[in-house]
Amino acid sequence: MSQRILDHAGLSALFKALAQGRKAFVPATVQGKATWIPATDLAQADLSLANTAFSPKNFFFPQSECLMRFGADPAQAHEPMQPAPGLDQDLMLFGLRPCDAKALALLDRIFGQDPAMLDPYWADKRERTLLVGQSCPAPCPVCFCTGVGGHPFGTEGLDLLFTDLGESFLVEVISERGERAMKDLPMDAAKAAAGDEPGKKDLARREELKNQAEAALALDPANAPDLSALDKAEVLDLYESPLWERLAETCLNCGACTFCCPTCHCFDIQDETKVDEGRRVRNWDSCMSALFTKHGTGHNPRGRKLDRVRQRFMHKFKYIPIKNQEIGCVGCGRCVRLCPVNIDVRQVAAQMNGQAASASGGQRP
Amino acid sequence: MNERQIFIREKAARLLSEGRVDRVLGYRKGSVPLRDAPFVARTPEEAGELVWSSFCLGNVAKALIGLPGKSAVVAQGCVSRNLAVLLAENRVLRENLVIIGVPCLGMADPAKVLAELGGREPASLVETAETLTVSGPGFTKDLKRQFMLRDNCHTCRHRNPVIHDFLAAETGPETGLGDIEKTSGLWEKFTPAERFEQLQATYKDCVRCYACRDACPLCSCPTCFVDQSDPQWVGKTQDFSEIAAYHLLRAFHCAGRCTDCGACESACPQTLKVRRLTSKLERDVRALFGREAGMDPSVPPPLATWKTDDPEGFMK
Amino acid sequence: MMKPLTPIQPYAPRIAAMFCNWCTYAGADLAGVSRLQYPANFRVVRVPCTGRISAEMILHAFKQGADGVWVSGCHPGSCHYLEGNLYARRRFALLKNILEYAGLEPGRLHFSWISSSEATKFQETAIAVVETVRALGPATGFLAGIRREVA
Repeated sequence: MSQRILDHAGLSALFKALAQGRKAFVPATVQGKATWIPATDLAQADLSLANTAFSPKNFFFPQSECLMRFGADPAQAHEPMQPAPGLDQDLMLFGLRPCDAKALALLDRIFGQDPAMLDPYWADKRERTLLVGQSCPAPCPVCFCTGVGGHPFGTEGLDLLFTDLGESFLVEVISERGERAMKDLPMDAAKAAAGDEPGKKDLARREELKNQAEAALALDPANAPDLSALDKAEVLDLYESPLWERLAETCLNCGACTFCCPTCHCFDIQDETKVDEGRRVRNWDSCMSALFTKHGTGHNPRGRKLDRVRQRFMHKFKYIPIKNQEIGCVGCGRCVRLCPVNIDVRQVAAQMNGQAASASGGQRP
Repeated sequence: MNERQIFIREKAARLLSEGRVDRVLGYRKGSVPLRDAPFVARTPEEAGELVWSSFCLGNVAKALIGLPGKSAVVAQGCVSRNLAVLLAENRVLRENLVIIGVPCLGMADPAKVLAELGGREPASLVETAETLTVSGPGFTKDLKRQFMLRDNCHTCRHRNPVIHDFLAAETGPETGLGDIEKTSGLWEKFTPAERFEQLQATYKDCVRCYACRDACPLCSCPTCFVDQSDPQWVGKTQDFSEIAAYHLLRAFHCAGRCTDCGACESACPQTLKVRRLTSKLERDVRALFGREAGMDPSVPPPLATWKTDDPEGFMK
Repeated sequence: MMKPLTPIQPYAPRIAAMFCNWCTYAGADLAGVSRLQYPANFRVVRVPCTGRISAEMILHAFKQGADGVWVSGCHPGSCHYLEGNLYARRRFALLKNILEYAGLEPGRLHFSWISSSEATKFQETAIAVVETVRALGPATGFLAGIRREVA
């Protein structure tokens, strides 16, 4: 089974079936904020939400994560360090948007870029979490996934994807893990969530919604910044652009953009101690913070605000592309929405591209 | 609103073309409907981009700190008071400052607007003196501007600029409709345990992005206490004790200097009510020392001075 | 095997005391040489002046497990640095208010003026501070995570 048609009850049944043996989370509004909540029934979810205010990266890369504990207890002298336990239960995120799934796939390539040094904390949670995506027939006004190589119906990173066709849902199996999950459904639950083969009409409707979403995104030219010259641009041409000075004038250097971002992944490791025992904790950090790059000597290679605001955009649109041949932004629009001084990543990327295009005249020897 | 914007643009263009200032700090139209962007206009042409709306939510006095040369600042009541604080603290020199004063009608709170939209995202906004008209995919909604004001603008006590070189409009009423005394001590009626619960409920979702600190025109220390690593006053984890320490100490550092401009609350990506602590301190400073921040640039801030008869009932 | 019974210990509060070098620290000394009895539940940090004490220090003490904090220095008018304690008085008035507004129980944070000759006042104040904090029990609200978690 790679594609099924389910009615509303069928999707609820599928949710219940998949939630057996997994701790399930769904998007919902809590105190006016769109966020992820644990759920046992699909009725708890609000699948009409455009997207959660913050990205779901914290499920795999928590803002504060204890990596290990240590102590000087003589009874434990042979093993002074105790690794933190992993997840106690498999997880499922149900109703994830394609941009966020793409971001997780991108982070997989970063946290696992060297097979010998695969980040075990990230990998454990990723392997044990089922990602059930939901396509975006009505992208919100600040989304721009198509501008950075994504798609409102994109499947990268997902295990399953469902699309609301109005009367029914089209469920597609994307990954091997998704297929396994569907195969392993308990008998009775599988029956309730079996559904039908999609008909021609259903597939046509999906196509129609997909085109509609693309058209909605194309309405605002800001959503499709021209990034064609970035690829070939010299790093130093971009690095020395006067653009950064203008950005630094108003950038507050707060961490709002990096913390809500689904692909930002910088962290800081702290040891907290009490007398003769303690714990090692990994915490989100931000390239916007001066302390992030401050050396023990007191020297700071990114000592100015300008250096830090430049880093965020260069990392997303130049350094990650050089290393991983993909743009480091998935176009979820969160930073556009949350930046206190309205620094719009779409405009910055377009300006970078403009700089790249004008510099490609070959002034640089 | 419009009259103010026309004045700001004309005045800014003239100041720049006559070479009297190197830049004008104000706002320009944002790329999203509910937030206009702080903007530094450097040429008369750029001055044409300046706007004045209900969504000029930051505090441009922040961008002034450390700038060389002469700057003009577009300043409503609270921003002018923050300029007075910066002048009193010698962060800025008056001869390097031109203040384009704007009698303020209050700024709107994007969170209040969004709450009216039930999760839908606005694509555009048109405002008149009384109404904000928000529209997006498949909806249009008229909202009364008066009800959409930020909490601090609702309880504002000094809407007209305290110091200025030019005034963009006739001065208007000094106060919003609300009463700051009713909201600044909200937790006073509670027991200590209940107060701590309120503190937790208010700040538990803080992600420590420090947007509130970074938006604040008072925060100009070369190294903030949260960035000190030896001694490390505030830990880096998301433990509530660290979150509480950050917010308590940040609020305390603003005591006697805070003008309740609301930039912190408007900057918060989690829409926390971060003014809960700062406005309580602002109330205490008024009650204990009879001072309001930024009313006179020639007087030192209340915690940089003393009187022989200061209250000391709490001393043993 | 049963664990040996341990006698029930009365709760002993831990109090961080910050004393100014010129007045209260000397007052404590005088109380000592005068053989005035006072409880030993506080650890003293000697500071040059109460004006040197920041909000960070006081909150840090609570985070690190203090059940109470006691700050004491010279009377107004007798500061070794002329006015350090007068700045401190303004600061502490606001700090006590805001910490108690945020849920710190009244009675955990104490301030006093004790001169180098006031040994009796030192003794009385020490008893009052320790007994007030003892009555409140351990402070948990602002305790740092590591202190709460690793018991």
